[in-house]
Amino acid sequence: MPPTFFAITEEILDLNELIAQITTPSTGASVTFSGMVRGTTTKGRKFETDYLEYEAFKEMAEAKMEQVADEIREQWPNVVGIAMVQRIGRLLPGTPTVLIACTSAHRDDGVFEAARYGIDRLKQIVPIWKKEVGPNGEEWIEGSYIPAKGD
Amino acid sequence: MSDQGQVSVRFFATLRAKAGVDRHKLMVDDGITVAEFKTRLREDLPGLPESGSGMLVAIGKDYAFDEEAIPSGAEIAVFPPVSGG
Repeated sequence: MPPTFFAITEEILDLNELIAQITTPSTGASVTFSGMVRGTTTKGRKFETDYLEYEAFKEMAEAKMEQVADEIREQWPNVVGIAMVQRIGRLLPGTPTVLIACTSAHRDDGVFEAARYGIDRLKQIVPIWKKEVGPNGEEWIEGSYIPAKGD
Repeated sequence: MSDQGQVSVRFFATLRAKAGVDRHKLMVDDGITVAEFKTRLREDLPGLPESGSGMLVAIGKDYAFDEEAIPSGAEIAVFPPVSGG
């Protein structure tokens, strides 16, 4: 079985540990996307963020992460290891919030594309939400993707 | 009169705030669709949004769509479009 790892956690994210979980004797490449809390936003509406408060529907979120991993393996069959972790709770600017990592034997096996697909799909279908808290108050952020059959 | 069964509902994020509760239980007619269920839920919890796509529904761990029938005893989750990452 190729290594697959998913979690919704309140613990600090450890990138090295995550990659170790999906490294096998034949692994020669890994690509990780990590997202963190942005304190200052300058694109579009400009604002400051004091912290983000994340919540998840854990059981469904982990099931949907598994579904995203299945979709990745269908499109990039040479991707071997897949890990996805979302941290929840109150997170300050600069703090890593999400990690998506993919491993394969070689760098041209689709790992770059797979990690990109993983974070894009997570933001579409994995039930996690964030509330933005700043100097002007707080606001729940809603995504723009509406799931369809097959999601 | 048709048979009724109890379903349990969990709310998340903005819809938890709008519903004013984390969880809710209600009796619904057997064979009720997701669309009918949303209308029924709004009768109980008028803070929920009127219509449109801002209210997603999951049965168990999967998304459910308007025309689907809700099995009796279903565990339902109601939440807005997701915003993780």
